Amino acid sequence: MKLRTILGNIIEPIRQTTGIIAISTLILFLIEAYPAHAVDTGKLVEKDGQYVFVESMDPATRLLLERAYEKGIITQEERDKAIKDSETRAYLMQPSFKMWYDRGFNFSMNDNAFLLKIRGRMQLRETTRWRNDAWRNPGDAKNYPELLGVFGDYRANRSDDFASQFNLRRARLLFLGHLLSPDFKYFVQLGFETAENAQTPGAANLLDFYFLSTHLPLLNVQVGQYKVFFNRAQINSTASMQFAERAPVMDAFTASGLNRRDVGITIMNDDEVYPVNYYLGVFNGAGPLFNRYGTYNSEEPTVPCPGGQTSGNPFPSPSPATCPANQRNLNANFRDEIDKLMYAGRLQWNILGRPGYGEGDLAYSEKPQMAVGGGLAYNPGINTSTDNAFVGIDLANLNFRRQLATFGNGRQLGWGVVNYLTQAYDAVFKYRGFSLQGEYYFKNIDRTFKGAPCLQTAGQGGPCTAFAPGLLGNSTGWYVQSGYYLIPRKLEVAARYSYWDPDTNASGDLIKQVDASINWFPFGTYDYQLMLTYSNLAMGTGGYAIGRSNPLPSTGGSQNTVPCPATFPSGCVPLDRVGGTLIENAIRVQLQIFF
Amino acid sequence: MCSRIGFFPACGLLICALLAGMMSGGCARLPYTTKVIHEDRRVVVSLQRDPKAVAYTHPAQLQPDQLSAVLNGFSLREKQRLPLRWFAEEVPPKKIFRSDEIEALVPFLAEGLEKAASDERVYFQLLAPGMNPAAERDTTAGWIAVREPFLHLGLEHYHAQFPIQKSEPLDLRYPAIPPEPGSYLLYFEPGRFWETDPVSSGQAVQLREFLKTAVPASRK
Repeated sequence: MKLRTILGNIIEPIRQTTGIIAISTLILFLIEAYPAHAVDTGKLVEKDGQYVFVESMDPATRLLLERAYEKGIITQEERDKAIKDSETRAYLMQPSFKMWYDRGFNFSMNDNAFLLKIRGRMQLRETTRWRNDAWRNPGDAKNYPELLGVFGDYRANRSDDFASQFNLRRARLLFLGHLLSPDFKYFVQLGFETAENAQTPGAANLLDFYFLSTHLPLLNVQVGQYKVFFNRAQINSTASMQFAERAPVMDAFTASGLNRRDVGITIMNDDEVYPVNYYLGVFNGAGPLFNRYGTYNSEEPTVPCPGGQTSGNPFPSPSPATCPANQRNLNANFRDEIDKLMYAGRLQWNILGRPGYGEGDLAYSEKPQMAVGGGLAYNPGINTSTDNAFVGIDLANLNFRRQLATFGNGRQLGWGVVNYLTQAYDAVFKYRGFSLQGEYYFKNIDRTFKGAPCLQTAGQGGPCTAFAPGLLGNSTGWYVQSGYYLIPRKLEVAARYSYWDPDTNASGDLIKQVDASINWFPFGTYDYQLMLTYSNLAMGTGGYAIGRSNPLPSTGGSQNTVPCPATFPSGCVPLDRVGGTLIENAIRVQLQIFF
Repeated sequence: MCSRIGFFPACGLLICALLAGMMSGGCARLPYTTKVIHEDRRVVVSLQRDPKAVAYTHPAQLQPDQLSAVLNGFSLREKQRLPLRWFAEEVPPKKIFRSDEIEALVPFLAEGLEKAASDERVYFQLLAPGMNPAAERDTTAGWIAVREPFLHLGLEHYHAQFPIQKSEPLDLRYPAIPPEPGSYLLYFEPGRFWETDPVSSGQAVQLREFLKTAVPASRK
């Protein structure tokens, strides 16, 4: 027993010593291994467009060190110290930033806390079009009218039958990147282009300027000016379309009804992470670089008497009976509707994969990609100018009116203050180069001034003698488009049909367009593309449009009187006197370079 | 909806498009993934069915060290168009794989060759942080296949910047598309094993002859 105790006393320290030796050996091994690992360190660097692996240490120095060590000239400690010092020196000597080109000029700090990417995009287009005689007379005074001067009088959009013009349709400069961390992003886009049919040359415009926080995948936050996440056609970039231009119906049903861009804030989840995505936003609802402080009515010095024009306010109503005749002309001084905001939401379900917003299946999806989505937007208090045809008597801000006309909602002009409730539903499918997508839109237009507007009075302030023959209806439309890559990632053919009823109360006003396009992507990306798009547009000129159709505004007399009496401030001849359907056949050849 | 404007063109277009979609879905024109063998942050190996390929002699048995020896012999030059091609020939070929890349890759390639069918090839991606690590991955990608006695290597990307997400992270509306496969001139050392496969007319490694010389005797 005693012997066993003695043996135990001897063996136990040995056992413990063995453990200590094993642990020490492991530590020594790890310490030994570290310099060897350090010798193998290096990194990928970009040089002249190539990515090459570069050792941290100069190869010649390393060779000499290794030889010296192998021959016993230096000790291992000296070798390791030299390697470590060399690596430290190399680290300290390297610049703290890097620059390279990859889909834009990139400038980044080494710790990736800051990134600036500069990109440029150009779409050069040649448009050849043939129009029918209806474009000469009557032209389009209803959907895309031109608004003249400070009063915004209506002018028909007319043209010769044949046209062939070059156009720098999109000229963009982008500054994008992140600040502080890759999860705090910024995006600035400047546009310098001129739209087709524009009357003035393009100037520098700030299209987008926003910050996006992606710190929380469930709650990304985007603030600034950007395209509202509402309908698929507008969310998508014009750089990744299947046709040279959007269909007219796509532009008419933006969230605000005025423009695709707006100033506000959106919360959303990360659509790379979650199959069901939400977007909830609050905006001014006034279009880009604008807010409602810039929209106004005219008011006489006496509150709340509406301001009059030079010849006085023609209406006894809605002015209060106590209002004076005409105190001051064209005040344009009263900011109203400034407590209104636009609310827009979108819900999307990526049923299969994640098709994204780019049109067509350029990526040649190996697996079927399918998504459905819907958006709802409420934009109240849009002043479309007075709810009668007397253009100029309240001098409502022209910015709202011009945006409505630019986006094809000209029939809604002149109906007073309206509230828009717009719905959009979309679906998309992509698989192996094939794509199919479509959207349905409906816009409920709620006029805050009920009843038929008065258009003619018996003299200044006299009783109303003529009212609008019909009231403005709602608006609806849809499109469907499909494409197929004949050569995957290179050559696509696509077709689209769009339908738009701008006023459900009017007849003869439908706008239909058929497009076919053949698209070449020489480098297999959207960045570089050559498109040839054929479009056939048929636009009805029927229906009543206030201020452009009979009865025209008057404070007495007859429009059949020659010469036209002064009591007709907008003239005596309605712009839709000659009816018909506007037909346009156009071929657009468009080159895009996005670098 | 269709009844409001008549059957044609709206519904006609819709039906034609759907039919075209179903037809196109049935006939792949580019290689597509049939099975993922392995996927992590460093390596992705999968089986691809190549609709245009001549049948391979899969499944094939190759040991990782045999594959390492083969892959170690490959080098490349980027294929240039004239006139850059004249200058490109002055540039010596570069090794395709580093030793650490081969080490990470070959176990899964060997597994892939064992599991591949005769109409499948083994596709690989070697991944590393990209120039902007938050948005891109440095990617070397290609495929290998065996048609006895040859081993074929196709290189599609060499340290290309692949987007991590499907949309540009800095521009959510713009799709992020991986770059197209590049064109490379491949070389193999020793050159005497770099032969033309008479079946596909493509160049390939004379695998069996090469292994006799390259692999340690214990493995023969």
